[in-house]
Amino acid sequence: MSNDQSSKPDTLSSADRASIDASVSAPVILFFGTAIFWLLLGSAFECLSAIKLIWPCLLDSCGFLTYGRTSIVSVNALAYGWATPAAIGIGLWLTARLCRVPLVRTKSLIAAGIIWNIGTFVGVAGLLIGDNTSISLLNFPGYSTHILLLAFVLIAAWTIVTFNQRQSGPLYVSQWFLVAGFFTFPWLFATANQFLIWNPVQASAQPAIAAWFAGGFFNLWLAPMGLAAAFYLVPKATGRKMDSQHLSLLAFWSLLLFGAWSGTSRLIGGPLPAWMVSVGVAASVMMFIPAIAVALNLHFTLDGHYAAMSWSPALRFTVTGMALLVFTWVLAAINALPSVNSVTNFSDITRGLNLLGYYGFFSMTAFGAIYYILPRLTGKEWPSSCLISWHFWLATSGVLLGASVLILGGLIQGFALQDVGVTFRSSMDFIFPFRFVAALAALLILGANVAFALLFAGLHWSLRRPGTSPAFIAVREENSQEPVAV
Amino acid sequence: MNKLTLIFTGILLTFGSAWLGLVVYPVIHLGDVQPLPNEETGGVLPTTLSGLAVAGQKVYAANGCMECHSQQVRPDPLTTDIAKELGKRQTVPRDEIREHTPFLGEYRIGQDLSNYGTRQNDVAAIHRHLYAPKSVTPWSNMPSYSYLYECRKIVGQPSAHAVQGLTGRRAPAPGYEVVPTQQAEALVAYLLSLNQNYPLPESPEPTAK
Repeated sequence: MSNDQSSKPDTLSSADRASIDASVSAPVILFFGTAIFWLLLGSAFECLSAIKLIWPCLLDSCGFLTYGRTSIVSVNALAYGWATPAAIGIGLWLTARLCRVPLVRTKSLIAAGIIWNIGTFVGVAGLLIGDNTSISLLNFPGYSTHILLLAFVLIAAWTIVTFNQRQSGPLYVSQWFLVAGFFTFPWLFATANQFLIWNPVQASAQPAIAAWFAGGFFNLWLAPMGLAAAFYLVPKATGRKMDSQHLSLLAFWSLLLFGAWSGTSRLIGGPLPAWMVSVGVAASVMMFIPAIAVALNLHFTLDGHYAAMSWSPALRFTVTGMALLVFTWVLAAINALPSVNSVTNFSDITRGLNLLGYYGFFSMTAFGAIYYILPRLTGKEWPSSCLISWHFWLATSGVLLGASVLILGGLIQGFALQDVGVTFRSSMDFIFPFRFVAALAALLILGANVAFALLFAGLHWSLRRPGTSPAFIAVREENSQEPVAV
Repeated sequence: MNKLTLIFTGILLTFGSAWLGLVVYPVIHLGDVQPLPNEETGGVLPTTLSGLAVAGQKVYAANGCMECHSQQVRPDPLTTDIAKELGKRQTVPRDEIREHTPFLGEYRIGQDLSNYGTRQNDVAAIHRHLYAPKSVTPWSNMPSYSYLYECRKIVGQPSAHAVQGLTGRRAPAPGYEVVPTQQAEALVAYLLSLNQNYPLPESPEPTAK
């Protein structure tokens, strides 16, 4: 326990809060709105790819919709169209709130949002016409990543300006994570593009850099942004402060150190120096530390207040996302052990872990944050608590079903791929029924995303009578710090 | 933890160390790997790609072949890749220098292709497999790449390049022929070039147990 001021989210008056929210509203809504469009597009492509895996003849005369293109379009549209802009939107709002200053120069942020989406559009179009770089999570052609980097530089510059103008006082834990995310992402993205795409180095040096980027994209960009949101929302929604400053510190520094080195564990046995793989394995296993620190800190904060999850959608989504982050890190640590990895590598377990991390952790946390943020920016409440409930259960069941069948099926497939006495054909026969269920799970997730898009549309254009009271998904039992908490 | 400078310094040290180790180190130490002379032929190892195979690399990337096919043989006691005859030895950085981007892959939804050229050298058979996978391997879950081929009416002499021996549902109707486009020819040239079956000192073949 710490009495440090920095374990409390903020101490603003409601008038200050309203003026900060109003100043930040236009760019944040722009980022969220476009993110939801790409979320729908990405998950539709994900469904198409999952169905193609079990039924390869589907649309196979259509060159731009071959499996190899639809699956990378879905991954990259979700990473750069949905996850990154959602993280930026959450980050901008949190930065303004936690620095306790209204936003200035919002025009440059709106411009950055538009440029970012142009870049994503150009990148997706490039993938469909066949300009694929074949580097995981960096598939966008070089001409589109210049545009993306330009947009992000504008955003990062604005963040630095706001941090410089912040009201004096201790930095809250979410602010550490915001600084880390906004600082490391441009570094990761510029370095990887420079050495792999714009002026590629010899192919013998590329695998290590690509693995470093793929690990960093999750552990040093999405994870810090999701944690920043959770460490703000959980205290807000429960009316408590974060339990332990020391656990927050431990989680932050261990995530930065081990997250930065963890990427190369995906290349065990691959063509790169053995020490790089060893460091990657060690760092991935050490990710147990931030996992345990985050889990304990959130649990002690929520202890006795878990009931709030039953009525607050923001808290319910965020806590689910955090639980799945801890679960993802633990599974990734086990998967990085060489004896385990020699079985699981190249199997569908990788797909299962990606689903768990990117959708289960990041998307769920981002949904929670957006449920909290948007009513405060628009002054309107979510139109339907029933639809929020549908969204939650479709998303949760989709993620848990999809991840568990891909991990179980992947384990069987992995043993078949490893066993000298088993043919390759058998590994395909074993995984088939699991891929069938995984395709159903992809449809559930698409349904969840459609429900979320309808809620966003309903909030914005008042398609239905706008809710006048907060859209709680159950009878509210406790008070939160703020009057309009959803 | 109340000073921004402290946080920045910490991030610089942790993240910067990984950047030095996993980006700068490979660029300096692996960014200029030279091929070895091949004493038998007077050429180099790994052999340089033909112009057509380089074009085929782009087709391989454009169609996302890497989404299903890996190209890496992992070492022996750790994995069974060599026992399963995916290759005779481990894939090492020097094997990658002929590529523009290493197609290591993350999945084995389809077979590993590191040494495809040593298993298959029949051009017509590869074309048949790409055009109609199920006619060659009934249990295959590879999609057809028929969009890289042109099915056209035979006018005058049949084309010398036409894919021979197509059977089953996708076989051309009488009087028609299936002709590979430039892209399909390039892709086949690249697939034929996939061969790590040459000795490299840093990757000895494991001796018999």
